[in-house]
Amino acid sequence: MGKWLLIRLAQTGGGAWLLASLVFLLSHQGPTDAALLALPDNTDLNAHTAGSATERDDALHIVRHRLGLDLPLFYASRVAATTTKAAYWQWHGTSNQYHKWTAQLIHGKLGLSLRTGQPVADRLRNALTYTLPLTGLAILLTIATALVLAQRLAARPWWHRLGQSMLAGLQALPLFIVALILLLMFANPAVLNWLPAYGLSQPLKSNESFWTQAASFLSHAVLPVVSLTLTALPALTLQLEAALEQELRMGYATTARAKGLAEPRVIRQHALRNALLPMLTQFTELLPALVAGAVVVEVIFAVPGMGRLLAEAAATRDYPVLIGGILLIGTARFLSLFLADALYSWADPRIRWQQ
Amino acid sequence: MKHYFRALPLVAITAILLLNSCSSTPPPAAVRIRWAHDPETLDPLILPNQQAIDVINLIYCSLLQVDFSRREFSPLLAEAMPAVQHLGDSLTLLHYQLRPAAAWDGGQPVLARDVDFTLKLMFCPGLPNEGARTQYSFIREFRIDAADPRRFTLVCRGQAPEYAQASGDFPIISEAALDPQGQLRRFSLAALQNRAADTPADSTLAGLARRYLTIASGQGPTQLAGCGPYQLMTWEKDRFLRFQRKAQWWGNQVRPLPFVLQARPKQLEFVIIPDDATATLALQRGELDVYPQVPAREFARLQQSAATRKALAFYTAASYDVVTAGFNTRRPALADPATRRALSYLFDAGGLLKATQLGQGRRTVGLINPTDRANYNNSLPLIPYDVAGAAALLRRAGWQQQPSSPAGWQRRGRNDDLQQLTLRLRYRADEAAFETIALQFRAAAAQLGIPVTLHPTESSALTPTLQSGDFDLYIRTLKGNPFIFNFAPILHSQAVGKGNLTGYGTPTSDQLIEAVAAADTPARKAKLLHQLQAQLQADMPLVPLFFLPTRIAADRHLSGLHVTGLKPGYAAAAIDRVAQPQPAL
Repeated sequence: MGKWLLIRLAQTGGGAWLLASLVFLLSHQGPTDAALLALPDNTDLNAHTAGSATERDDALHIVRHRLGLDLPLFYASRVAATTTKAAYWQWHGTSNQYHKWTAQLIHGKLGLSLRTGQPVADRLRNALTYTLPLTGLAILLTIATALVLAQRLAARPWWHRLGQSMLAGLQALPLFIVALILLLMFANPAVLNWLPAYGLSQPLKSNESFWTQAASFLSHAVLPVVSLTLTALPALTLQLEAALEQELRMGYATTARAKGLAEPRVIRQHALRNALLPMLTQFTELLPALVAGAVVVEVIFAVPGMGRLLAEAAATRDYPVLIGGILLIGTARFLSLFLADALYSWADPRIRWQQ
Repeated sequence: MKHYFRALPLVAITAILLLNSCSSTPPPAAVRIRWAHDPETLDPLILPNQQAIDVINLIYCSLLQVDFSRREFSPLLAEAMPAVQHLGDSLTLLHYQLRPAAAWDGGQPVLARDVDFTLKLMFCPGLPNEGARTQYSFIREFRIDAADPRRFTLVCRGQAPEYAQASGDFPIISEAALDPQGQLRRFSLAALQNRAADTPADSTLAGLARRYLTIASGQGPTQLAGCGPYQLMTWEKDRFLRFQRKAQWWGNQVRPLPFVLQARPKQLEFVIIPDDATATLALQRGELDVYPQVPAREFARLQQSAATRKALAFYTAASYDVVTAGFNTRRPALADPATRRALSYLFDAGGLLKATQLGQGRRTVGLINPTDRANYNNSLPLIPYDVAGAAALLRRAGWQQQPSSPAGWQRRGRNDDLQQLTLRLRYRADEAAFETIALQFRAAAAQLGIPVTLHPTESSALTPTLQSGDFDLYIRTLKGNPFIFNFAPILHSQAVGKGNLTGYGTPTSDQLIEAVAAADTPARKAKLLHQLQAQLQADMPLVPLFFLPTRIAADRHLSGLHVTGLKPGYAAAAIDRVAQPQPAL
């Protein structure tokens, strides 16, 4: 078991590393030079302030040097063919961007943001302080609601078909539509003016009591959390309900009923545990979502979380932030796969025996 | 009973939420302004976006600043606009005198030494000052008056009318805060400017750079001394920035108080809300006071609602941003003005102004704003939307419509090469107005059988793609100002492949552009600008479609916004909250 655990953890780390390396190498291949974004725009009517072409080229050289972008990207690169020489591979040694990035990562440093000069780890940590409560609450609410709703649906109440149709309809709605509908319904003076318009982003006053601050946080969190919950709920509920229905057709469920157990008890005490088995992957897949945030909800409700951070980093070519974020989410993704394997092994003796 | 207990937490949470939402709140002390983006950094040497510029203008003072009430540069730290003196035909001397009242927070006076120090910081190695380095490299020498520590002269390379304004538009940093020993004084400005990139590191400069980066580049409230009217109290990145007016600010002593020295709100709060719909709701709910750059449809919707009309005031002004379509004149099919003129007839500028800006904004004949009556050439006609006229002009340009395969328009080039009129149109992907313009153009071109493919391109990739010449036609906004008319970076032939995206440039146009930049009297400048607009309309490298409006919605109880077309569109430091009448007891 210990050996298996070690192998799986090594695979997880290696996978995350490979993913981040791939993103590192690919992100530097785009048409936009991150160094150019550090200089004033020279294509506007205000471009008189952008300096002459020579001054701009000199400045670009200095920016590239300052940001370390003047080094070769990788250990080796392909030099294009010229009129006198055929194309060939050139070896750059350890003086390359990838090597430097790797070396600082081994020392636990993710580098500095190209845009703000702030350590990437600080930026990710700040974003996670907003994302984790939001996605954490949403995941808990989704799992709890799905468990309750799927059990009720599996008992075939009179509203079974209506409930299924509503869930299927909800699943068809994209997240931004759900978030906007909720916003326009519950934070709109023209409809219901119940909740604040923008997420967790309203500044709190330090002299307010704990309860006031808690109530303020809750009232700000309601709409983003409910948006995330509503969009994640249908898939979980419908699948769990289908699994429950399958289990309820099995012989052991019929035996339980024959013993005189009421249907809700048959579901809760006999069918649920078995029905949850195929759902383990679904639950563990929520782990990467926990750290990745949801860019749509974060933009609409002005929550400065991970999704927004990474989207902005991609738009502004802030490679260190982007790669740091991907490394984090990639690790969470591989950990979720590892966790799913571990849980299956724990929950299903057949898998253990096969191993 | 069991059900009641189960429902209790739900009831409690609902009650808390409702109480929280229904509790009446008094008018806030701070004026709350919406921003779509965070300023990213408050480093006065970087200024990556408009938000950063706005913040820096609250914390620091420049020698000169734009006076929104008069729409011109006015002296701020300087006592008056600089006296300009031309030396031969290659140097300009700008003589400045600082205000005697100007002081840092500790009470020390702002002196010429501080200005000298700031300029040298712009060229100090190891700092993120490359942007400032390119902008202010025209200042070659700094001379302090031996008799008066507040008087100095800037020696500028070349002669240009805009030097007087550009030379004073940067935040002044305290020498005492960063370099109390005055170690940077032993380097001249020219020595720092001419310092080669591979020069061995100097310990003094490296130490100073380290100190600067520690103090000025931090994300918390800046510790760097500024002599501006406001102090940053809180900066929650991507959430909000809160500023407090300084109790003892030197500007309060100046009489009569100029507009640029006004600091009315006690507190200013900039709230970051990326989504427009959310910002609109926040304004309606009273969670915001000022919403600048409101999208056209949101603005119209707010104006139409009786409830919001009571609570909000609506302002519009003509901005200096012009939406243009540009041709790639390096492409053989688009190299002749006749073809470009013909294609310009396919833009329905009037209809597009209505569709995208709901009629606000102004159509234009060129890159000069029509509100600038002296410089705008109103003798030129607006470009008509005329599909039949475009077809006739295309035929005159030598194009022939082919009825059979390959269908479309063809002509023989100078080298007898066969040219096909097909267009690839690029624009920024996240801009709905550009997409509308592109679709309208494609529909009009389709009527003539001209195939147009649309290439919405990611914002940060657009400019490099256009600079590489990978387009036939583009749509973008050119951001301008009413102070400086130097078209060389975007239209001169020497800027092709850099700022000149269209690749346009003729000896006549180059001469005119150079003459406009060097014109020393308003009358001469106006005459040359009229000629340039006529030349550009004849050659048509760009199709100027319309000037965008500035739209601001604000709480009705605010006054003194001074809404203008200049960025950011309002004067934050001049806003006043009108006292609301207390309800009778």
